[in-house]
Amino acid sequence: MSVAMLNLTEVVLNGLMAGIMYALVALGFVLIFKASGIFNFAQGVMALFAALTLVGLQTGQVPFAHLINAIFGTNIHHFGWTLPAFLAVILTLCVMVAFAWAFEALVLKHLVNQEPIILFMATIGLAYFLEGFGDLLWGADIKAINLGIPSGGSFWWEDVTREWAPEGSDYWGMYIDKLDVVATVVAIVLVTSLTLFAQYTRMGRALRAVADDHQAALSVGISLRTIWVVVWSIAGFVALVAGVMWGAKSGVQFSLSLIALKALPVLILGGFTSIPGAIVGGLIIGVGEKVAEFYIGPLVGGAIENWFAYVVALVFLLFRPQGLFGERIIERV
Amino acid sequence: MNAPIMPHPVAGTEFRLEAHQDDIPTGQTLLKVDNVSLSFGGVKAIREVSFDIRKGEIRAIIGPNGAGKTSMLNVINGFYTPQQGTITYRGVPRRAMRSTQAARQGISRTFQNIALFKGMSTLDNIMTGRITLQKRNLFWQALWHGPAQAEEIEHRLAVEHIIDFLEIAHIRKTPVGRLPYGLQKRVELGRALAAEPALLLLDEPMAGMNLEEKEDMSRFILDVNNQFGTTIALIEHDMGVVMDISDRIVVLDYGRKIGDGKPAEIAADQAVIDAYLGVPHHD
Repeated sequence: MSVAMLNLTEVVLNGLMAGIMYALVALGFVLIFKASGIFNFAQGVMALFAALTLVGLQTGQVPFAHLINAIFGTNIHHFGWTLPAFLAVILTLCVMVAFAWAFEALVLKHLVNQEPIILFMATIGLAYFLEGFGDLLWGADIKAINLGIPSGGSFWWEDVTREWAPEGSDYWGMYIDKLDVVATVVAIVLVTSLTLFAQYTRMGRALRAVADDHQAALSVGISLRTIWVVVWSIAGFVALVAGVMWGAKSGVQFSLSLIALKALPVLILGGFTSIPGAIVGGLIIGVGEKVAEFYIGPLVGGAIENWFAYVVALVFLLFRPQGLFGERIIERV
Repeated sequence: MNAPIMPHPVAGTEFRLEAHQDDIPTGQTLLKVDNVSLSFGGVKAIREVSFDIRKGEIRAIIGPNGAGKTSMLNVINGFYTPQQGTITYRGVPRRAMRSTQAARQGISRTFQNIALFKGMSTLDNIMTGRITLQKRNLFWQALWHGPAQAEEIEHRLAVEHIIDFLEIAHIRKTPVGRLPYGLQKRVELGRALAAEPALLLLDEPMAGMNLEEKEDMSRFILDVNNQFGTTIALIEHDMGVVMDISDRIVVLDYGRKIGDGKPAEIAADQAVIDAYLGVPHHD
């Protein structure tokens, strides 16, 4: 393989894996939008909150430590234990389920049959509340996630790919982050299990039923409130996975909530109601971004990655507003 | 005008719909609405209506458009909460039903404008009808293991029986959004039957159908009633069909009850003729 081909391969591979990371976030949006027609602005903050909670629980942080210290003049920060990663993940999941339940009981329940824009505003409120609450609960400092996920460049892959270059070239091998590979595997497992759950279980069937027609779902005895708690719990779970992966990549910090913005073009491409759409949309954005950065970037001074996705989404909107896999919007008149 | 519609046994129907059978003897009151009034803002949809549905009968609700027929069904299955009156189902009086409660206690229904899950297959649509009968909890389902698996297979079997019964085996894997109207109506009936209802509410099951489709649907309704003893309340505009298949008829007009009785009595009732039938009916 020529060096140019190798470079292209590397860029595409990295793009695909970056795309998986976007898709992880977009997935949470799709789940909630499908089941309840709510665009959940708080999905990114939920990822942040889940990651904060995971780190906090694992490292034995005292919740509300700053508040307690300020009121009582104490100086406590840690309980002094470290939980096993597995246990910390389970506990975080419990927190996310409790959060879903509380949000349904305190907010959604009172907004049944409201306009989507009202519910959208409620999720904006939720986003800011959750961000502040996470700060109060676990502190605002940047934290490292330590679940034993491998990260850093793979030397093995570098060695393998160096052999592919023509004799005498100064090619140094492809860079691939092990963390990205793990994220890819995790995403595949996640999507497969979500699909199986939706396809073959009673609850999954109920979820699809609610997503399709609220009235008919009620008539066969499905409780919308239960479904909402389940959906938001699953979205919390997806947020946890996204939060862990992004947190492991760039540290658990408050800018993590902004990854939600990167999910928007992914959603526009893939369609708001399609899980495969979220994946394919993520991949297209990921690859497009990296390829554009590599080949067009040098011509315009770089930093294409920051805006490329949005432009692609905008152009896409003009031709296929329902997204690649979204339901066709047909209004009969 | 209409040839008498004879119920006939369908192959493979040795199954029963008895999840919600109980000790109420046939002919006794299964459901009673008492002095029910319902209004939306200033619009009175139902005014002080009382009637009963007896176990094992086919009870028709007829009347001109806007008479409150669909509203009545919505009150019975808990979509609407009436401002006044009581609904007594299986001897338990309530101010209002709740929809999940109604479904769990064996009231299932179809809709005037078909309300199917368009993206799902015929099979999956009918499977959703059994949601209230499936008991295994989320944990087992998530593992898709042991008891949950056995249960899923058992329910799947029951659904296959219903599919055979309604003669829709050829479309079981087709997403229902792609089916023609008449078949969609049939799938919707299948989903309602899958819950093994004690009381089946049908909102205009034959609207928009041609003669052949109407005869098929009438036959299914009679078969369900005869073979499974399912009590049926139906709204229908085709008077030929209504007079043929129903045991008793209640007539609504402007939200009020203006007639109640056997088909022959209703056909001869001057108030009903004036409000709805238009011409005297001699059959």
